[in-house]
Amino acid sequence: MVQSQTSTRKYTIEPLTRVEGHGKVTIHMNDRHEVEQARLHIVEFRGFERFILGRPYWEVPVIVQRLCGICPVSHHLAAAKAMDRIVGGERLTPTAEKVRRLMHYGQMFQSHALHFFHLSSPDLLFGTDGTASGGFSAPVELRHVLAVAAKYPELATQAVLMRRFGQEVIRATAGKKIHGTGAVPGGVNKPLATADRDALLAQVDQMLAWSRGALAIARDFTTEHLVELIPFGSFDSNHLSIVREDDGALDFYDGVLRAVDKDGTRVVDGVDCQRYLEVVNEEVRAWSYMKFPFIKHLGPEHGWYRVGPLARLNTCSVIPTPEAEAARREFLALTQGRPNNITMCYHWARMIELLHAIEVIRDLLHDSDLQGDDLLTSGPRREETVGVLEAPRGTLFHHYRVGSDDAVTMCNLIVSTTNNNEPMNRAVTKVARDHFTGRSDITEGLLNHIEVAIRAYDPCLSCATHALGQMSLVVEVHDAGGGLIDRRVRGGP
Amino acid sequence: MSAKPRIATVSLAGCFGCHMAILDIDERILRLADLVEFDRSPINDYKTFTGRCAVGLVEGGCCNEENVHVLEDFRRHCDVLISLGDCAINGGVPAMRNHVPLRECLEEAYLKSPGVYNPGGVIPNDPEIPLLLHRVYPCHEVVKIDYYIPGCPPPADAIWSAIVALLEGRPVELAYAGLKYD
Amino acid sequence: MQFVLDGKTITATPGQTILKAAEAAGVYIPRLCAYKDLIPHGSCRVCSVRVNGRIQAACVQTVSSGAIVEHDTEELREFRRDVIDLLFVEGNHYCMFCEKSGLCELQALAYRFGITAPKYPLLNPKRDIDMSHPDVYLDHNRCILCGRCVRVSQDLDHKNVFQFVNRGLEKRLQVNGEALAATDLRVTDEVVASCPVGALMKKRVGYAVPVGDRPFDAQPIGADIESGKGGVA
Repeated sequence: MVQSQTSTRKYTIEPLTRVEGHGKVTIHMNDRHEVEQARLHIVEFRGFERFILGRPYWEVPVIVQRLCGICPVSHHLAAAKAMDRIVGGERLTPTAEKVRRLMHYGQMFQSHALHFFHLSSPDLLFGTDGTASGGFSAPVELRHVLAVAAKYPELATQAVLMRRFGQEVIRATAGKKIHGTGAVPGGVNKPLATADRDALLAQVDQMLAWSRGALAIARDFTTEHLVELIPFGSFDSNHLSIVREDDGALDFYDGVLRAVDKDGTRVVDGVDCQRYLEVVNEEVRAWSYMKFPFIKHLGPEHGWYRVGPLARLNTCSVIPTPEAEAARREFLALTQGRPNNITMCYHWARMIELLHAIEVIRDLLHDSDLQGDDLLTSGPRREETVGVLEAPRGTLFHHYRVGSDDAVTMCNLIVSTTNNNEPMNRAVTKVARDHFTGRSDITEGLLNHIEVAIRAYDPCLSCATHALGQMSLVVEVHDAGGGLIDRRVRGGP
Repeated sequence: MSAKPRIATVSLAGCFGCHMAILDIDERILRLADLVEFDRSPINDYKTFTGRCAVGLVEGGCCNEENVHVLEDFRRHCDVLISLGDCAINGGVPAMRNHVPLRECLEEAYLKSPGVYNPGGVIPNDPEIPLLLHRVYPCHEVVKIDYYIPGCPPPADAIWSAIVALLEGRPVELAYAGLKYD
Repeated sequence: MQFVLDGKTITATPGQTILKAAEAAGVYIPRLCAYKDLIPHGSCRVCSVRVNGRIQAACVQTVSSGAIVEHDTEELREFRRDVIDLLFVEGNHYCMFCEKSGLCELQALAYRFGITAPKYPLLNPKRDIDMSHPDVYLDHNRCILCGRCVRVSQDLDHKNVFQFVNRGLEKRLQVNGEALAATDLRVTDEVVASCPVGALMKKRVGYAVPVGDRPFDAQPIGADIESGKGGVA
């Protein structure tokens, strides 16, 4: 509770909707209509890091993916990569490495499609007054994917079929669309069946065409509303991701740690993921179950950073597929080649990655290594291990220790969205200050502005604290002592 | 208010996988849009119920006080309440904390994990974050549940056939291929 | 000799159990603790039938000439469903990540009976996992006390690795030593493959069988007996 000398008005946005997971926002305003404090709270806790202890290590990739039903493959593979090292099998066979890569890029494809179309497009498509914020303030009955379907039936059909394609790639490699078992320590449990390959190949050109279209929508939306979008929830920050070891290329599955500051100076580069603790620490704050990571040598004050599509485009040197690389160059031209710190550019960056993912999937489907039968490898045992990859929402760290009896003795997870905790809080604060200051009446549409800023990050709050849910939006006005003097509920009785 | 039956969905202590399984009905989601109106759900911005709902789909069990309130609210507003997926039905993976004292789970995450910067030894406790229950409860131990669709997550076809059955006034029955616990 | 099973006359050999006689006639009576040709145990009660009006375990009850046996009735189906349900709520069965999913007889029975949720409150007991042995692990969370391992270790492996201790709700499987590593259990022993659930498992096998290829993914347990191809367990 904020104590101030004047009466404070508190706005609560709860539950956050059209994000993957469960959080709430509180905004405290004083009687001069100034924002005193704005916070994104993560309100659920599960305790994975404790109850995984004692379990056999080969169960871990299958258990931990239950952190998240949206990007389960990320957790499945990060844990599998960690367990590869436990069994001394980190140099996978070509078949295993490529089957996993296909699984991961399939996941990237479905998750980015889901986020753009199912969750964010209502904010981007309903700006009927020619402004971007017109869409942010669209009537609540329009702000969901089925309303998009009613107005843009072709787009909705594409969205559904694109997500289905990504999910089919996952099913063909993991055995199930959600929470499969395909990646096992030291490899995979099956190759890609030719029947599955052929079914996917038959659709891949259509997916490429639709991905180009999705990219064009995101790019045009951004460039047409630049004046509005440049300041919206934006701020300078560091950016972190893994990049391919030899050339710094964008790579979702494997690489070394790189971070750049707001000007593009590399503050971390070429760091082996096994040494992630030398780069990243996490701060605990009493008002959120989600921790606050920062780059260790820069400290909690200045070391916080962003991850995800925007960060990856700012850190990588090149995208190793031609169409996405051309799109990256166009994207960077907007900021004269320097890092892009515009929060709303996350959407554009995400669609460049969508195009990259389908280019990679296409190439993999043509690779006969995926039908190989050499699936597993192993070597000398290790006790401690780190598995890192780029999940749809950013860098994902899995760190384990496993005893000689095969039981897990330590588990530390830094999930993608946790990395974006501080940036999301800053985005919330900035939008609140820019749009609420001086106003006595905060409308439902204005409150959605806050969520638009959070949605740009595509936060998987489910992962971050294993949390989901729904509550009403409540506006409470408190007096100086914190007593409630007025209360209004959004969304009817 | 349209005359179409209304459906509400919620995710309590789940991972959103069951909601993704709902979306895995693929093209049928567009058919569903013709058959029903979505009320309160994470896929739209209705944060509270707008009216009486024919069907409520609940993902996840109850791990905090607020899950319980939301679940009770769903029971009040929905004619038929369905526990969707293993977490709602038996607590699922989050219920693994039921075998461990809650304090140990919190200490592992906020005090003991490597790389944690916590000079004050803080465990999150702000009034803005809801109180955790001492254990995770399945939904039917909190309110009456009418139907169960198990699975982690349930097969999309099972979800679709259940919704269609209810809309046509038939009881929910799962085929062998639609009944899975994993 | 002949007896009547659900109104049908069945021919059996003297000394044959009702379970085996039904099986020979292509009728599957659900069972959990019965295993291969071990001396039947009658502990799980999943194979309960009515013989001349009295409830008996079909795995231990031998056929008597002219007996009237009821097997597939609503009452018995419900009785068995309850037994299966209790086995679930008394342990900690996390099917969603158990490597035995799709190969597990308890789970397959629940599928066959169409069980969608526990009828009784979950006990969430505190159970241990014994990882001490280099090649085999024992997860007590999943143990249903069927006694297969006790009998296989004694009768087929001619060792005595497992035994029950305590009674009632406190009943536990105990190993003959401080922990599994202290016993003379070897990974090659018959007992390692005998567990119907995921309690006694060979280590580092994990999820070798892909989802979709597992025995109970496509067809219910007992389907082989009903199609006349003979039983597995």
